[in-house]
Amino acid sequence: MELGTESSAFAQMSHATQTLCNPTLQSWKGQGGKVVGYFCSFMPLELITAAGLLPFRIRGTGSTSTELADAYLSNLNCSFSKHCFNLALAGEYDWLDGLVMFNSCDALRRTYDYWVRRVDTPFVKLLHLPKKTDAPQVAFFREQLADLRTQLEREFDVEISDTRLREAIGLHNETRRLLRQLYQLRRVKVPPITGSEVLAVTVASTAMPGQEFNALLRTLLKEIESRQATKAYRARLMIIGCELDDPRYLEVIEGLGGLVVGDSLCYGSRTLWHSVDEAAEDPLGALASYYLAGRPSCPRICTQYESRDTYVMKMIRDFQVDGVILERITFCDTWAFEGYSLEHDFKDRKIPLLVLEREYNHLGEGQLRTRVQAFLESMEG
Amino acid sequence: MDARKRKSISRSLERIATLELMLEQIEQQPTELGHLYKPPLENMLRQDRKTVSCVENDEPFLASEFTTPVEIMTAMGVHWYFHLERAFSTGGIPDSHMQEDLEAIQSMPVPMDLCTFVRLSFHYLELGVLPRPTAYISMVHPCDPISSMHAAYMHHSQWRDVPMFMPDAPYHMDRASIDYYADELRRTVDFITEHTGKTLEIERLREATEETNRCYRLWLEYHDLRRAIPAPHGPNLARACTGMVMTEGAGLREHGHLEWFEDLVADAETRVVESRPEVPDQRIRVLWFDFLPVFADEILPWMERECGAVIAMDMSGNCPFQLIDTTSEATMFRGLARRALRDPVMVRQSHSTAGEILAEMARLVRDFRIDGVIFPGHMGHKDQAANISLMRETCREAGVPFLSIGMDSFDPSYTSVDEIKNRISRFFAGAGLN
Repeated sequence: MELGTESSAFAQMSHATQTLCNPTLQSWKGQGGKVVGYFCSFMPLELITAAGLLPFRIRGTGSTSTELADAYLSNLNCSFSKHCFNLALAGEYDWLDGLVMFNSCDALRRTYDYWVRRVDTPFVKLLHLPKKTDAPQVAFFREQLADLRTQLEREFDVEISDTRLREAIGLHNETRRLLRQLYQLRRVKVPPITGSEVLAVTVASTAMPGQEFNALLRTLLKEIESRQATKAYRARLMIIGCELDDPRYLEVIEGLGGLVVGDSLCYGSRTLWHSVDEAAEDPLGALASYYLAGRPSCPRICTQYESRDTYVMKMIRDFQVDGVILERITFCDTWAFEGYSLEHDFKDRKIPLLVLEREYNHLGEGQLRTRVQAFLESMEG
Repeated sequence: MDARKRKSISRSLERIATLELMLEQIEQQPTELGHLYKPPLENMLRQDRKTVSCVENDEPFLASEFTTPVEIMTAMGVHWYFHLERAFSTGGIPDSHMQEDLEAIQSMPVPMDLCTFVRLSFHYLELGVLPRPTAYISMVHPCDPISSMHAAYMHHSQWRDVPMFMPDAPYHMDRASIDYYADELRRTVDFITEHTGKTLEIERLREATEETNRCYRLWLEYHDLRRAIPAPHGPNLARACTGMVMTEGAGLREHGHLEWFEDLVADAETRVVESRPEVPDQRIRVLWFDFLPVFADEILPWMERECGAVIAMDMSGNCPFQLIDTTSEATMFRGLARRALRDPVMVRQSHSTAGEILAEMARLVRDFRIDGVIFPGHMGHKDQAANISLMRETCREAGVPFLSIGMDSFDPSYTSVDEIKNRISRFFAGAGLN
């Protein structure tokens, strides 16, 4: 049976993943709540939450074309940035009260350049995100966050006290703890939840008020405790890569018998594997340290390939992964060399690796099926 | 010398032979501007010879990037080479391997949409033809391909055990950001000391910075002279300025860099006064809003001859550099940081915000009385491609026509030279410029 039919909690989360302004968000807005968008998982959500605002991670969900954005961004820019910006130009993000961005990648910093010129979001900021994780970078990142704190306070007429920051850290740590609990269920031989279902949950965590999400996740965890997996699988897979917020992509893979049991995604384990230090004297410093240096990184952090590799290898062992899929959105330069390094390392270690190019919001189902089918067969052979 | 070392300098030795031949030809067939074209080649030759000598004699040397202040390395008395310069230099220095290299990168397991320049630079590493340095100063700006390539360098078996320092370049230009990068530069100094034993004396840094200041002052003077109509020179000498300020010796008197700049300014002045430009019959003044492709020699003479078009300014010959206050260590590091974050070619048009880029474009159009702007649209410059719409808008406001071509500045098979000429020709005709 489909999890969405079995569990109303999951159905709500899944719905939030498939839409932008989902019912909990509408309800939040209806009660006068304000929403601040962000693009990149490096954004310390706790700062937004502590301001009494709701953090929402920008997606291109539901976008079917980029015709408006094409007038600005070029055919060399990635489809993720174009779909998101297209939605903004079409007014689909008019409900945002603010947007905080980093110079996460070239496409997004240019998206920022257009967003501030062409979209009427009241408060739009761009912060610098360091590309390495040493102490001076953490300190500089902390200063960036301190500036943001001041700007949020001024813009939204709120006080972001250390106490409120600590409460927000506690709330988001609870989300991470619950999500880790969900991930642990995937270590067993017959997991009670599929990779696509987990992705739906993690995406929902970026689109709902934290307390409501945590309540739903607690319910879901109880509901699936004794759930029986419905399908046999041919291989246990791990997925690595950039912006992946569409569970249907994993559904195609899992439909072929490749059960996704682990990931290194920014909508996945990288954002929840560790927690922010709740006992730190300086909560802002704890956030800077956690978000920049205290958790598995993506290749945006240039100096951390070795630690990413260690993290991935541990997950491969712990989750008994048979093969790895690396997905990259075409034109993404940040991920361009990660596949190169992984291919060399995995070859030496005899770990099967499939590198896939994809377009955001376009499954390319036929090609995806063919590639994954061949990959699974190569592992079986 | 072992085989690995020998291979690492093989391309350098080939380039040395090519440069020697080019210089010999200049000697044998003197031209009016030979005195200006020769020193930049001699400078490259000197750098290559020194790098080879370091490898052969096991002397410490660095690989570095064009954003690392040469003043620091000069003052520390350590030799370095810019490994990214190799792909660029194929433009002016014939490279018999270019075609085979372009073919080889097609099968490299990195995406084909990735900048060819970056793929070439990584290919050189894979091939083992980059002199293996004692230590390596890397960069994280101006764009994603550069930083992700350097991340892969750190992990590649060829250079995995070469110590690397990667200064983190902030995106903004406020005081805190500049101070942060100045501190990154101080950490660069510590890193160099740790791995080469060379130390930095502030007086020596001042001496080197004052010397490059003199060179930059003359380049700025030359920059102003290029505003003249007709332009005194084509774009090649202006491009050579970059090489002359960014190499060893620029900070010290011994190699005659300052004299070359003086000579350049004097020649430009004479040509302006006498209205005797290097490129005759100039009817169209073009701003080429990026660096010129490595196969520019197949396009520029045609533009000049057939269209009467001169590149009045391009982003390699652009001199936005500000002089550095040498009053104290703090002012020097801050000045060097500010320069590295915004001024060098590619950094300027890539690492900057759209607002800064467009302001630069508008300024150049105005100051150089530009008739038409050509944005080559190098396939690897995705961040710049994202600005096309804003560039077009800026040109419309300035009343000049704008052409975006779409090419690979390192591989003419992406958009053929004929197609590029065709686009340019139609652009000039359509805009009523010829």
